Amino acid sequence: MSAPATIGGSSPIAAFVLAWAIPGAGHAYAGHWGKAALFFGCITGLLLAGMLIGGGTVIIHRDTQGHVELWWMAQMGAGGPTVALTPISEYLAARAGADIYANRFREVGTLYAAVAGFLNVLVMMDAYVKLAYPHRKRDEEEKEKA
Amino acid sequence: MGEALRNFFEHLLVLSNPLWLYYPLCAVAAVVYKATKFDDPRKIARSALHFFLSVTVGMIVLGVVFYVLSRVF
Repeated sequence: MSAPATIGGSSPIAAFVLAWAIPGAGHAYAGHWGKAALFFGCITGLLLAGMLIGGGTVIIHRDTQGHVELWWMAQMGAGGPTVALTPISEYLAARAGADIYANRFREVGTLYAAVAGFLNVLVMMDAYVKLAYPHRKRDEEEKEKA
Repeated sequence: MGEALRNFFEHLLVLSNPLWLYYPLCAVAAVVYKATKFDDPRKIARSALHFFLSVTVGMIVLGVVFYVLSRVF
């Protein structure tokens, strides 16, 4: 299997990593500014909405027993914003103490942030594919028309 | 059966029910997912709406089925 081709000096790996660091940055790097704005708005919006719904305590790295939270691993799909929001969320959770578990909306907020992470993984793969296999999408659309 | 269905929808329509938050979540997931599949904005909007409606209707039907089953057994 041959290595994916690099188009116009744009590296698919760089697009993948950029999309992880900042949602939508991979598409901006590939020159798709409209989609970049859409993905940035949707994914960071979902993360922030999750924080708001869950009282700011939804992005927590470790549980009370010191184990890494599975939810946090899903949320890390949206790399940069999750890394930035983790200390804020942990500070708010430490301040609130055990009260955070009494908030039934916290579960929904955690789910919002986790879905944002999963969606960003999809966006990262799309950014990679756009540069590595630029003819793939056009072929699919032509097939659909036919 | 009719009462079970009425109960189901009454609980679903209460404003304090966190399930209302499902709709924006599903809408955003639909837009992002379809934007990775298509380039034309109109096509993205149309297919995202289709995706949102199919998932929502499917979830409601599943919810009704499980709720009625839980009341019967």
